[in-house]
Amino acid sequence: MACGVTADRGIAAARGDRVSARVESPIVSLRDVRRDYALGAERVHALQGVTLDVERGDYVAIVGPSGCGKSTLLNLIGVIDQPTSGTVAIAGRRVDAMSDREATQFRLRNIGFVFQRFYLLPILSALENVALPMAEAKVSKAVRIERAAELLRYVGLGNRERHRPSELSGGEQQRVAIARALANGPTLLLADEPTGELDARTGAEIISLFQRLNADGTTIVVVTHDEDLASASRRKVHIRDGRVVDA
Amino acid sequence: MFAFLLASLLVQGSSSVGGAPATAVERQPRTIAIDETLAARAHLKVGDRVSISALPGTIGDTVIVGAIVRRGADPSEVARGDLRVRMHLDQIQRIAGYGDRVDRFAIATTPAADIPRLIDRINRVAFGFNAYRSRDIAVETSRTFQVVSRFHRAIGIITIVASSVFLLCIMVLKVEERRRDIAALRLMGISRATVVRSIVMEAAVVAVLGSALGVALGWAASLFVNWHYQALYRTPLEFSMVTPATVVFAVSLSLVLGIAAGVVASLRLVRTPPLVLFGR
Amino acid sequence: MRAALAQASLIRHRARTVLAVLGVAVAAAMLLDMVMLATGMRESFRELLLSRGFEIRLAPKGTLPFDTDATIPGVGAITATLRANPDIREISPVLGASIHILAGNRDVSGSALGIDPSVQGDYELLSGRDVTTPDAIVANDHLLSQLGARVGDTLSVAAGYDPQTRTYSGQRKLVVTGRARFIYGAADQSSSAMRRETLEAMGGQARDRASLFMVRVRKGANAEQVRDWIDKQLPNVTAISIATAIAQVDERLSYFRQLALILGAVSLFVGFLLVTTLVTVSVNERAGEIAVMRAIGVSRSHVVEQIVLEGVAISFGGAVLGLALGLVTARYLNTILSAFPGLPMAIDFFLFQPKAAWSALGLLIASGIGAGIYPAWRAASLPIAESLRREAIA
Repeated sequence: MACGVTADRGIAAARGDRVSARVESPIVSLRDVRRDYALGAERVHALQGVTLDVERGDYVAIVGPSGCGKSTLLNLIGVIDQPTSGTVAIAGRRVDAMSDREATQFRLRNIGFVFQRFYLLPILSALENVALPMAEAKVSKAVRIERAAELLRYVGLGNRERHRPSELSGGEQQRVAIARALANGPTLLLADEPTGELDARTGAEIISLFQRLNADGTTIVVVTHDEDLASASRRKVHIRDGRVVDA
Repeated sequence: MFAFLLASLLVQGSSSVGGAPATAVERQPRTIAIDETLAARAHLKVGDRVSISALPGTIGDTVIVGAIVRRGADPSEVARGDLRVRMHLDQIQRIAGYGDRVDRFAIATTPAADIPRLIDRINRVAFGFNAYRSRDIAVETSRTFQVVSRFHRAIGIITIVASSVFLLCIMVLKVEERRRDIAALRLMGISRATVVRSIVMEAAVVAVLGSALGVALGWAASLFVNWHYQALYRTPLEFSMVTPATVVFAVSLSLVLGIAAGVVASLRLVRTPPLVLFGR
Repeated sequence: MRAALAQASLIRHRARTVLAVLGVAVAAAMLLDMVMLATGMRESFRELLLSRGFEIRLAPKGTLPFDTDATIPGVGAITATLRANPDIREISPVLGASIHILAGNRDVSGSALGIDPSVQGDYELLSGRDVTTPDAIVANDHLLSQLGARVGDTLSVAAGYDPQTRTYSGQRKLVVTGRARFIYGAADQSSSAMRRETLEAMGGQARDRASLFMVRVRKGANAEQVRDWIDKQLPNVTAISIATAIAQVDERLSYFRQLALILGAVSLFVGFLLVTTLVTVSVNERAGEIAVMRAIGVSRSHVVEQIVLEGVAISFGGAVLGLALGLVTARYLNTILSAFPGLPMAIDFFLFQPKAAWSALGLLIASGIGAGIYPAWRAASLPIAESLRREAIA
């Protein structure tokens, strides 16, 4: 039932990147992954046998209509959900059957998450929000403050450290969220509709930031409706009705 | 005097009857009545023979327990550990060496009697004693009970104040939980007054239902309290009474407090701009 | 970081936090008062009994000291019997009686204790001299103010009054030599003391009798053993050790202990309920935040810790405020109960005992922890993806 991955070759070919995903072992590897939910009396098959690889340094956009299973797929890659069947491996490690504790630790050190609604803690400043994952990883206070400040400068918010989320614009909040996602130097950056709540101009700034991150070596997987964001990626993966379809 | 006698009550039980020498005066043992507490403590029953004297260590009169009586509902007696005995007057006068004396006379009057005039007449001709109305004496001697009443009232007031704070706290929390719903209603155009009215009505319904449950619980607790303390102190005194007045008071008060808490909680929220309630 | 998060969360909802702290404070105050009530009488009474160092009291058979008008005959013989026990250090026989003091055409009634001043344990001399001479009397301020008398004045004191003939018996002139505080006296009691022989002589009939003996045992001796010995040697008196006296008073006033237990339990429960409600509402509001924290890698236990810390902070703040509030209400309630007729002034119904108080407040704080754990754990255990989806829809 699994379909092979059909990459969008346009952008990749223009850049001269590899189109084959098999020179070295992929950073993300899904094999025949299914995810079912109970919704009232019904059973929803959110994913129906997805097989997918993401190479190190890749920038993949997962696109598809609403309810096709994009976010579900991202959640499985991000180890915040577990498949009903099939296997998921991140950086060579099986993550589909991890205990809650193992999954939490894994996410802390290997995955950076960016959400559509930013989800910054309103009671913390921008600096404190970025430092939060490092505090959890037991990084010393001095080091995490310094690194958080560095990350905020990287995303262009060096002068907004002390501001609370309520004092930042949507674009600024999303940049803080991206900095937070990078706090522990993750293997993988995942973003679920990162420009969904932003206007076009601000969205473009975020798209540009993602491109810079990828150029600096970060492996990125985004889920998006935004055509501009999808076009900025190196590869598109189309999902429909819980399946990866040919482009 | 009674107390003095009680201090010296010796209980020897029926087995010693044969050995106790009959006094010259007593040939046929007379009867006494004892209270329930004494009967329980000394394991006495009707028909038992005991020896009663005014001094410890002396042989007294042999008497028979003729009756076991329950004390009257006198609150001032409740906490005391007295053991009560009723005897024929001439016998106790003789045993205690009291002679032809008593501590008091109790006078029952006819329904038509003019009590104040009667008291006045007695006091004018009395030599060495005074007459009082029984209920005036009762008031004087029930100071203990008055203190306990005041204490209960104070505890009641503190409980009401405390409950009001708790109620307000919980109401504010629960209403705040629904602030997004309230914000959505306001954005739709529902007026503040309507929102407040609906919350207050909800609070009133909860208050009424809570009061009904509370009254039922209070009544059950009252039954238990009376059962427990009547058994403990062996008294028919009612320690707790749920009267119509107390029910009306309790229900009214909880209704007022519940509605007030609802008003305060809802006003807090409707005064906040809806978008702020949404967290924007 | 977790403490900072908890603090920030509490400050974010100031009104709610203040109300919750107030609610817990009221619960803490009531709990503290009930703990003070449950143990106060007993400890206060024990301290009173021990204040002068007499561990055993002898009363007429079957009575408590001064419960009745009964007296014990043969003071000399009893004293001699008691002295035979090497564990007994001091014996203080006390005779109690009512007296009438004639002040002009007024008759002021009071109580009098006939004592031996060298071993007495019933009063503290505040000023003047003790009753070292047969015609001396010491009185408390209440009696002196009723009489309008001072130290040095001579009083006409009678031991008996016949209402039939309206005559006084056992009259004597006594000089007020000192002011005293009667340890076992009630606040509104007119109390006095004189030598026992003087009171006996005034009483006429009651010779060589005492209402009470107070016995002090040797240091290191076992008071209960001495009490048992006295019981065997003197079957016509009731020997009461402090433990027995306290047990008997406990029994009479058991109602207050039971009330204290019930109200204390209710207070603890309400405090628990408040914190649970607060934490539940708080986590329900922050379901999305909690899911995000879990998504970025914060462990479940750390999320729970942060939430529970909020509950602990409220409980702690409430406990501190409740301590102050409780002490104030306890004083007020104690004033009410101190009006019990015949209650010694020195008895407090509400006694602050640090150990009991800290235990009670500690229990409240612990219940605050418990109250926060379940809702926090439930919130932190919700499936992350599900919570995020629900938040997105909301």
